[in-house]
Amino acid sequence: MVRPDEPTALRQANILAGALPPLLVAAQRVASTVLQGVHGRRRVGQGDAFWQFRQYRQGDSINRIDWRQSAKGRAVYVRETEWEAAASVWLWRDGSPSMAFTSGRGVPLKRERAEVILLALATLLVDAGERVALLGGDRPITGHAAPRRLAEGIATDAMVRPHDSLPPLLPLPSHGHLVMIGDLLDPLAKIEEIVRGYASQGVRGHLLQVLDPAEEDLPYDGHVRFSGLEKEGDHLIRRVEAVREAYGGRLRAQKDGLAQLASSVGWTWRAHRTDRPPETALLSLYIAMADVGARPVRWGA
Amino acid sequence: MLALGTLAFATPWMLALLLSLPVIYFLLRLMPPAPKLIRFPAIRLLLGLEPEEQTPVRLPWWLLLLRMLLVTILILALARPLLNPQSELPGSGPLVLAIDDGWAAAPNWSIMQRHAERLTERAERAKRPVVIVTTAPAALDEAKPQRGLLRPDEARAVLRALKPKPWPVDRAAAANEVGRLTIPKPAHVVWLSDGLESPDTARFGERLAALGTVEVVSPASSRAPMVLMPPSLAGRELHVTARRPSGDGPRRIAVQGTDDRGALLARGFIDFSPTATEGTGTLNVPTEIRNRIVRLDIEGHTSAGATALLDERYRRRPVGILGEKQTANGQPLLQEVFFLERALEPYAQLTIGDAATVLNRQTAVLLVPDGASPGPAERDSVIEWMKKGGVVVRFAGPRLAASADDDFVPVKLRLGDRALGGVMSWGSPASIAEFAPGSPFYGLRVPEDARITQQVLAEPGPDVSDKTWARLADGTPLVTAEKRGEGWLVLIHTTANTSWSNIAISGLFVDMLQRLVALSRGVAGDAGGQTALKPWKTLDGFARLVQPPLGTLPLPLDQASSVVPRPQSPPGLYGDESSQVAFNLGNHVPAPAPIASLPSGATTDTLTEAGETDLTKWFLTVALCLLLLDLLISLWLRGMLPSARGLTRRATPAALLLALVAGVVVMTADRAAQAATELEEKQLAQSTLDRRPPPPPRQTPADPADEMILRATLETRLAYIVTGNAEVDNISRAGLDGLGEILRARTSVEPGDPIAVDIEKDELRLFPLLYWPVTSEQATPSVKAMAAIDRYLKTGGIIFFDTRDQHITLGRGGLNADLKRLLRGIDVPPLVAMPSEHVLTKAFYLLSDTPGRWSGGRLWIEAGGGRINDGVATIIIGANDFAGAWAVDRAGRGTLPVSPGGEAQRELAFRFGVNLVMYALTGNYKDDGVHLNDIMQRLRR
Repeated sequence: MVRPDEPTALRQANILAGALPPLLVAAQRVASTVLQGVHGRRRVGQGDAFWQFRQYRQGDSINRIDWRQSAKGRAVYVRETEWEAAASVWLWRDGSPSMAFTSGRGVPLKRERAEVILLALATLLVDAGERVALLGGDRPITGHAAPRRLAEGIATDAMVRPHDSLPPLLPLPSHGHLVMIGDLLDPLAKIEEIVRGYASQGVRGHLLQVLDPAEEDLPYDGHVRFSGLEKEGDHLIRRVEAVREAYGGRLRAQKDGLAQLASSVGWTWRAHRTDRPPETALLSLYIAMADVGARPVRWGA
Repeated sequence: MLALGTLAFATPWMLALLLSLPVIYFLLRLMPPAPKLIRFPAIRLLLGLEPEEQTPVRLPWWLLLLRMLLVTILILALARPLLNPQSELPGSGPLVLAIDDGWAAAPNWSIMQRHAERLTERAERAKRPVVIVTTAPAALDEAKPQRGLLRPDEARAVLRALKPKPWPVDRAAAANEVGRLTIPKPAHVVWLSDGLESPDTARFGERLAALGTVEVVSPASSRAPMVLMPPSLAGRELHVTARRPSGDGPRRIAVQGTDDRGALLARGFIDFSPTATEGTGTLNVPTEIRNRIVRLDIEGHTSAGATALLDERYRRRPVGILGEKQTANGQPLLQEVFFLERALEPYAQLTIGDAATVLNRQTAVLLVPDGASPGPAERDSVIEWMKKGGVVVRFAGPRLAASADDDFVPVKLRLGDRALGGVMSWGSPASIAEFAPGSPFYGLRVPEDARITQQVLAEPGPDVSDKTWARLADGTPLVTAEKRGEGWLVLIHTTANTSWSNIAISGLFVDMLQRLVALSRGVAGDAGGQTALKPWKTLDGFARLVQPPLGTLPLPLDQASSVVPRPQSPPGLYGDESSQVAFNLGNHVPAPAPIASLPSGATTDTLTEAGETDLTKWFLTVALCLLLLDLLISLWLRGMLPSARGLTRRATPAALLLALVAGVVVMTADRAAQAATELEEKQLAQSTLDRRPPPPPRQTPADPADEMILRATLETRLAYIVTGNAEVDNISRAGLDGLGEILRARTSVEPGDPIAVDIEKDELRLFPLLYWPVTSEQATPSVKAMAAIDRYLKTGGIIFFDTRDQHITLGRGGLNADLKRLLRGIDVPPLVAMPSEHVLTKAFYLLSDTPGRWSGGRLWIEAGGGRINDGVATIIIGANDFAGAWAVDRAGRGTLPVSPGGEAQRELAFRFGVNLVMYALTGNYKDDGVHLNDIMQRLRR
């Protein structure tokens, strides 16, 4: 039920060979679907909106002269755009071994799904003029090449500590956005430490919890020895059906904890099952980001 | 040995192991099944969920039962179970097996061998040695079996190697051999006899009795050996005779004749009257078939005695014709020889020539047409030959009629001939009377139109009537015959050609000649002056013809009747490849008789098949099966049979076996129902361009048909009809691939890979649109396929026909012949040329033209209004080879050139394709949209 991880070298080779990584294609397809869904939405944070005309001064670039306006009068006008820093969004996905899991046919690996959503989100954001970067990777960039750069970054592990289940606490500029995509099954205290750490820097964040249907439902029976994917050891359960309720309770508690944590710092939290289409998750994530942008942020102490 | 009714155990102490069952029971109960191993990322949430201090998991009771059963059966197998056990052998010395292995033993050989083996087994259990004595002389190429005391396993090997011999037993020699045996006494003697008396049987019996207790086992009377005598020829029939040892009631046996390749040619029956020891029967077969028979066998009695080989005496009937073969004067129909040759050619070996030539060869019958009556010099040699057994058939004619004193005829003839129905006569041509019962021609059917116009007449006399074999309707002889010496002289009173009668051209002529030929004796192989014949092929004990063993002696011809079959001269065929003489066992052994005197104090028994059966291997087989079952169940419990988990999740353990069997049935039905539901959903969905999320993939593996349905329905797919022309099909596929690529890039339709559809087999209703390139190679659809197409069209499907011949078809009227052929039997709605404002031109792109690889021409679509399907045309016919234009390679470049517009036209072709798919998926929606203004206006009013 666990697919062997695709060798990194092979994926690098794929990218170096110039072919579009299939991941990126899938991400673009997802993104374009969602984009059609939000067609006509007011865009946020454009950096090239018209601001004012002013007279040409020595030293201005000729490129900036607005010829049409200049032709109306005697003076030569320069078109000034509104100076607005585009929001920077740092994206992070859980690269730990526990993400390399799928429960059966037709269900993608959790990590695969996380990367698809990450890249699709990047595509949407870039389209909306935002800057995106991998957490711990290069500086935020924009433009249509950005998703591809991110894809390469993911493939070449250009993130900080790419195989950890939680991101490290890095200094980020305030008013930046952080999107964390992962299974978020770590103890709540550890997650809280990270989340509060970033929140205290003034970063707005979004948590997307990607879970396999098997993790949601625990669809096993009888005498089972469970073995973790991250060297947590084994756990023997005599009758799985007897603990299904308790497991569901714990999972709910984890989710509730995450939701509370997120709302306490003004972040958002969404859950996503890998047997559902990624578009829904992406759309809700994207809209949530817009909402966050629109709402005054009140993050806790 | 422990006996329990019909079951016994040879090594009963092994059953003591059964005492260990309770121990095994507790051990098995304590051993829990190994858990399934599942890798699970969310294990953190599971840790500590279930305390370890639970009661140990027990084996399910049914598995426990299965394993106990397995162990029990294994222990029982170790105890060597026997069915129908037999008592121990009497006496204490060795077991002496005296076996009659002469020809008479062959029919019962396998039973006898098994009987002997069973006795050996009993001796083995009693740990007693075995002595084997055979009564027939050993074959030349066979090692003499081991004599003296044998271990039972050695004895078994000897028994298996033993074969019946094709000659009689020699009990005198066997008696001497028994006398020479030095074995501990008292022994137990079992005499497996063939049931036939032979010289010195009594002495043999006494010698056996001297060794110890004697048990005589003989075959049941119904299986007693029988002898088939060489058949005798009587005209067309083969008379067969068989002998049996005792007259014990009526009996009927079948005799079959086979050819040299073993094909059955004739079958007859021999009936024994209740007390008779000899029975006769006949095999009545046409001559030409009889000639192919090489051997006769009593059915179900495979032995050298029940087989009679037929040599050439029974077959070869060379016929000589006096006269010249096919003279060069070019009028064969006037030649008498011609008619004789044509009549006999298929059945006999013919020689044509003068008397010297013909008689020099082997000849059985000599035909003498009128034109070739032998001269005085030749006549003597002919007469001499005839008296030795030849048959001379003379034909009358002008020459015989004119000769005054020809005495080479069976009856005295009047001078001159008699003409019937000539110009100067009142009579009419005479017909032939029915053949009298005594005549060799009796039974032949006389054709009604056979007429004799001229004949020679016999001088009336007292013996004429006896000599007459056939008459005309008025009583005058037509065929007369006289026995001369060993042979026959036959006169046909008319000609062999058509000048005096028309029987020469009737079937009767052929039949009569055949009967006459059958009259003759066969010609034996030419010994060529030899006095002895080399063995050619000899019979083995099971009456198979084999190469003679080395050392077989030649058969002396002059004393052939006194030779007794023995190892040096087994029955068989002697001679060489060209001709052989049969040496049969039947007429060289005394008539079979039952054994007259049994040794005193002997017990008797009959040979039987039934005996004790060792069940060990069956028990072991069952144990092995249970072991495999246990393995499967163990794998299942460990979760290593992936598909079984979902299937039997809710099955109670007791129903497991039932579920395994019934599961297959249920699973199939369930899947069929699911597929049907899905099919309906898909159809609904397709009418409104539904992009619902794909249904969650199911865990059960689907069968190929379902696979196809799933493939077709999980994604929207373009489909094309397979034409059978690989090139066209490849282009269709590549074209729909290319169109799909365009659709994915430009529209929200995201079709999967195109699907090839076989109209004869596949379900059409799964596809919104079918692309159908018209080829002349494609076979006209079957009636069933036609019905499917019709149903498809009437339930909302769209077929896009592409005649691919530019506007030749559609531009100048007259439908493409192939299209017409393919559409025959389908209810085609009236077609019109597509109006320029049709939805197809604006479903996605606004188009003014619909080019493919070629441009021009028009599309033909179902006439407006549409009976069904909301006015959406169900049939669209184009001619521009659209798939050819859509076909692109991996790099996105067109595969086929497009003319005259080049790449721009290809783009237009793609746009048309997009419109076509949109039309298929959205129907008239765009049409309504274009009329929005009108609609709005109407609503406002």
